[in-house]
Amino acid sequence: MISGVDIQIEVKNLHKSFGDFKVHKGIDLLIPKGAITVILGPSGTGKSVLLKQIMGLIMPDKGEILVDGVDITKLDKKELVAVRKKFGMLFQNAALFDSMNVYENVAFPLREHTKLKEKEIRDIVIEKLRVVGLKDVEYKMPSELSGGMRKRVGLARAIALEPDIILYDEPTTGLDPIMKDVVDNLIYNTQKKLNITSVVISHDIDSTIKIADYVAMIYDGKTVINGTIEDLRTTDNPYVQQFLSGSMDGPIKIF
Amino acid sequence: MESLVNLLTVIGLPFTRLIFGAGRMFLLFIETVVWAFRPPFRFKLLLKQVEFIGINSLSVIILTGTFTGMVFAFQSYIGFSKFGAEYMVGTVVALGMARELGPVLSSIMVAARAGSAITAEIGTMRVTEQIDALYALAVEPVQYLVLPRIFAGIIVMPILNAVAVFCGTIGGYFVGVNILGINKTLYLQNMYRYVDLADFYNGMVKATVFGLILTLVGSYKGFYTKGGAAGVGQATTESVVLSCVLILVFDYILTAFMF
Ligand SMILES: Nc1ncnc2c1ncn2[C@@H]1O[C@H](COP(=O)(O)OP(=O)(O)OP(=O)(O)O)[C@@H](O)[C@H]1O
Ligand SMILES: [Mg+2]
Repeated sequence: MISGVDIQIEVKNLHKSFGDFKVHKGIDLLIPKGAITVILGPSGTGKSVLLKQIMGLIMPDKGEILVDGVDITKLDKKELVAVRKKFGMLFQNAALFDSMNVYENVAFPLREHTKLKEKEIRDIVIEKLRVVGLKDVEYKMPSELSGGMRKRVGLARAIALEPDIILYDEPTTGLDPIMKDVVDNLIYNTQKKLNITSVVISHDIDSTIKIADYVAMIYDGKTVINGTIEDLRTTDNPYVQQFLSGSMDGPIKIF
Repeated sequence: MESLVNLLTVIGLPFTRLIFGAGRMFLLFIETVVWAFRPPFRFKLLLKQVEFIGINSLSVIILTGTFTGMVFAFQSYIGFSKFGAEYMVGTVVALGMARELGPVLSSIMVAARAGSAITAEIGTMRVTEQIDALYALAVEPVQYLVLPRIFAGIIVMPILNAVAVFCGTIGGYFVGVNILGINKTLYLQNMYRYVDLADFYNGMVKATVFGLILTLVGSYKGFYTKGGAAGVGQATTESVVLSCVLILVFDYILTAFMF
């Protein structure tokens, strides 16, 4: 259970459907401040959709999303822009601007939201690219990069402004084992260094155990577990156990 | 009874879609206007669009304008020569170009060239989550993507129209005087006497409105694109068709209004 800590994001009774298809049927979620929360769940259970709702990119049908106590589902567009400045987000497919080169992509949030000089921007961009393990790619276009490289450029862009909250949608999926470790460490160190709130969507049990302070698991539109990493290890919830063991047999249905 | 309901849905569904689409496009326009008055002002993006919509369309516009004027001179000569009024060709070509053919044809060319590209570009950004990424980076996509395009369309289209009218008039003169042998002095004299600056302004107003239409439609179709690459293709086609139809409809409305 989560208690005795400051809460940065609270999701209450969230419902979301696309047409007749119900993705979320009452999600409750607590995301503590200044820690890493990993959200687990099988493919297609609506983890990405959840993250997009937390940033106000998709509006829920019902429910509340409190960011620092403010319900973002009730804000107008201008207020939402202000809230989003607290966030950085890595999209599952990186979502790089394909009309800009790598340098311009990472510099984009800096140009938009700071008054830094070109020289300072340059230093930050090079530094952020370096921490994600990229060099000499500044002048490549996104279409010239591999999937894993694109993801890391997306990561550099998400952390460029050093926001209060960073949302990572499957940051290590599609990376080789060494890069996976680099990115896990990056997420871990970024959080420790800046004491920010990080939310990481993952399928990867090993890296979850390595980086997570808190975990949540989503299945069938509901929250199955939302607690500390210790809670995850000791729970007797059959859904969680099946997911952790990676077994085909159990209550999680595969069609 | 059932067939009546069916009939009503067949008629009603496209109709409600039309109303719904028009409403959404109008809302996008209002939103763009609202964002126009909020900082930041991205002058560079505007320049880029002026270049893309305007400067890159110049060659097409010059060709279209010149050939239209030339053809128009031939065609009107046939009529006027029947009662010996060949020297009126210049007047008719200039009037027709300034009031009607200049704005309509150049806007349709720009809709096909730049309007379609606007839809394809914004539509691709939509289906590849780049628009979500803009939101996520706390940049308002309407302000960042739509505003510079619409603004550029409004600025650039009258200029392109002026170029088209100029080229058309020259083209008409060339055909009338050099090919058909109409008296040079009479040609120009009548043209000056019967064509006012007001006729030209009339066309400029039209061109401004058409510039708004083609960039708004282009942005709107792109912004609400759904369904991957196929969706982008479809949106692009719809964008050009809708722009052209709206340009012709508004051409009528404006003509009747300013008659
Ligand atoms: N814009 C949309 N329109 C319609 N359905 C959607 C849309 N976005 C997502 N969905 C549906 O919502 C469900 C959840 O999608 P989501 O991308 O959140 O899954 P996920 O948990 O992130 O999966 P993965 O781990 O594979 O990334 C899917 O069944 C998907 O088909
Ligand atoms: Mg996902």
